[in-house]
Amino acid sequence: MFRIEADRARFREIVRGKIRADIRKFLSTGELIGRCGDQAVSIPVPQIQLPQIRFGPNDNGDGEGGEGESGDPQSADGGEGQASAGAGEQEGNHILEVEVDLQDLAEMLGQELELPDIQPRGVNHLAAEGGRYNGMQNSGPDSLRHFRRTYKNALKRSIAAGTWDPNRPRVVPIREDFKFRARNVCEKPDSSAVVFHMMDVSGSMGREQKEIVRIKAFWIDTWLRSQYRNIEVVYIVHDAVAKIVDQHTFFHLRESGGTKISSAYELCLKQIQERYRPEDWNIYPFHYSDGDNWSARDTEYCVTMLRDELLPRVNQFCYGQVKSAHGSGQFKKDLDAALGEEERLVTSGITGRSDLAASIKSFLGKGR
Amino acid sequence: MKLKSSLPAALKYQAVVTESAAREAGLDSFEVVFELLDAADVNGIAAYGGFPVRYPSWRFGMDYERLEKGRTWGLSKIYELVINNDPTYAYLVKSNSLLEQKLVMAHVYGHADFFKHNIWFAPTDRHMIDTISDHASRIRSIIDVVGQDRVESFMDHALSLETMIDPYLPLRKLRQERETIPDGNSLSERSRAALELLSGSPAGQHAGEEPTEPRLVGSLPTYDILGFLGDNAPLEAWEQSILHIIRREAYYFSPQRMTKIMNEGWASFWHSRLLTGGLLDPSEILDFADAHSGATSSQPGTLNPYKLGIELFRFAEERGEDIFQLRRIHNDVSMIDKLADEEFTERFLRPKTSRGVGAPGEGESEVPGWREVKAGLLHSLSWGGLPQIELTGIGPEGELELVHHHDGRDLQLGATGESLKYMAAIWKAPVRLLTLEEGEGRRLVAREDEITIEEAEEAEASCSEESAA
Repeated sequence: MFRIEADRARFREIVRGKIRADIRKFLSTGELIGRCGDQAVSIPVPQIQLPQIRFGPNDNGDGEGGEGESGDPQSADGGEGQASAGAGEQEGNHILEVEVDLQDLAEMLGQELELPDIQPRGVNHLAAEGGRYNGMQNSGPDSLRHFRRTYKNALKRSIAAGTWDPNRPRVVPIREDFKFRARNVCEKPDSSAVVFHMMDVSGSMGREQKEIVRIKAFWIDTWLRSQYRNIEVVYIVHDAVAKIVDQHTFFHLRESGGTKISSAYELCLKQIQERYRPEDWNIYPFHYSDGDNWSARDTEYCVTMLRDELLPRVNQFCYGQVKSAHGSGQFKKDLDAALGEEERLVTSGITGRSDLAASIKSFLGKGR
Repeated sequence: MKLKSSLPAALKYQAVVTESAAREAGLDSFEVVFELLDAADVNGIAAYGGFPVRYPSWRFGMDYERLEKGRTWGLSKIYELVINNDPTYAYLVKSNSLLEQKLVMAHVYGHADFFKHNIWFAPTDRHMIDTISDHASRIRSIIDVVGQDRVESFMDHALSLETMIDPYLPLRKLRQERETIPDGNSLSERSRAALELLSGSPAGQHAGEEPTEPRLVGSLPTYDILGFLGDNAPLEAWEQSILHIIRREAYYFSPQRMTKIMNEGWASFWHSRLLTGGLLDPSEILDFADAHSGATSSQPGTLNPYKLGIELFRFAEERGEDIFQLRRIHNDVSMIDKLADEEFTERFLRPKTSRGVGAPGEGESEVPGWREVKAGLLHSLSWGGLPQIELTGIGPEGELELVHHHDGRDLQLGATGESLKYMAAIWKAPVRLLTLEEGEGRRLVAREDEITIEEAEEAEASCSEESAA
């Protein structure tokens, strides 16, 4: 009713612009996880403020504080870098939560990392059987009877037979007049995907390593959700044995123990065979580990399983190796040596949070 | 946009009853027009500073977003809005209970009386509801010609300087005018001013400015920096008229900043007096007490203007002061200065926690005396609670020379620097500000795209001068 809605829309546009500008910052923090609902994620933005001459403390000496800790709360038109930390503190109690559509967020991610849209797999896999009742047939159950067509047929017939009387326009259909709706099979583009997140939770994976995995999993989910209408996510954690856990556990679990990577791959394969047939699903397994496996023999078994069982069934298998203090990082080397030719396998090493963006891009940049 | 006034019968009746009770009590206002709106629309109007139409700006949208979030989550709620205008518009929220509406109405008559009679409001535009919608359509037509992006960017620059006005200027001018022109506020005078406004002549030439002295670069020093920029900065016509509009609205809102405590105090004093003086049904007394104490409760360490204001007027009445006279001639600072003695200061002004509003410079272990507490509060309220920045002159290369009159509180240099950059962008030459940081002189030199801060010993002398407030 009032024009305020237009001002609000403009404000939101500005905020979205700022989030877009800051997306790399969000890429390397876990800030958004847990703020995420089904459709939207609520992002805290400091109230954008016009700079005004005002009172306030100057904790960081002079005003050249570089990046404010909570972003750039001051200049509305995107003047970067000059925000002072002081302002960030002062306005701390004015933080606004802005809802951003997950679709929008994925789009921002896509633009920032220049991710290609995922290309459909081969035609065989593309077609999924769907049906619509838009055909016509001469027999069928009463519930599918097409009244208008039936009436028209009866009318045409009675006019042609000369039995139709405009003064007593009664039309009685006979058996030949009846028409019924029929189901037509049509091809629907495939739109289901399943994502497996497998995480090594053995003792050598520290808190920071797990955090990195979580952030990465969040962004991958966000992107894939924007590409497929129907997506399921399976969380698998493993040390010496693997088990399926729910999302919350995956993101919060702390475990310790040895590492047997094959246990996770076995479980993943079993899931694919039992629940997610490759004919029906686009399959994306992601595995994160610090690269220490139990034994060379287990690694060999993993390579065999990947080559013979997993890779033929999936769109893309991604292995992300997070550098940890104790990990040798051997597993990635072994995979690259044995399966470097396989285009469905992507491996990526992550040394720290600053690598996240590049690593996400290497996983999603192929458009598979 | 035209508002539809359709009060239900019960509220209409209540408005009549409240008005006559207010008049009997001695309150006098312009005609009060109540509008009943739902909560979202009231928030919209509140975001616009009380007006149904404003020029387009994302800032209002942000305020609206915040108010709406507060309402949706039940964190905050607006009960009423009153505009200083003739007639005085007041907005009631549909979802309020009848008791709340009664309280609000009585409160509104208090505000309306205050607007009409407090001297600081005397120079304000009493037809602001028209003026401000005129401003809105002028800015919209500028946008049509110049484009939204340029206008928005310039507005952001100008709005960042909106506090750079002299809150004492309108009253001073009004007094001068009253001395020179016996009937300064006559219809012909007003229409002449309106005509000049419409023809778009720059701020300096019309009746809003000192008529005796044409505005030149020479009319320095001044606190009316916004006005100075509007007259002297090398601006395009549309930029000048935006600056002028923002300045004019800033002057309109400025007295509300200076009299917040008195204004709320006066309104609360009267809603309490009128309602308990016969407007309430006995069955409503408890609910009233609940609502009233909610409005006048204060969190430790914060200053609730409703509470402090009502106590000031009650205290004055007990001491036999003429409260009507007080509400006419004072602003917050002079009122508290006049009334607060040791007893009052200890009871109402001393912060209840160690980190308080009253003593900005504290942190020492020893407890400040009541005079310090009072002085601290007065300091924080003076100049409308804003830093006092004076434009003292123009340097050899055309740079603006500003001085911050330091009152014990440092400037936030980051935000200040950004704001000065905006000022330099408008002035199209550097801007220099002298201030103190922890007692040491600082000079901020701003150009359009950079700011430097250097030590400046001479600042220590010029900034610590006694402020004009």
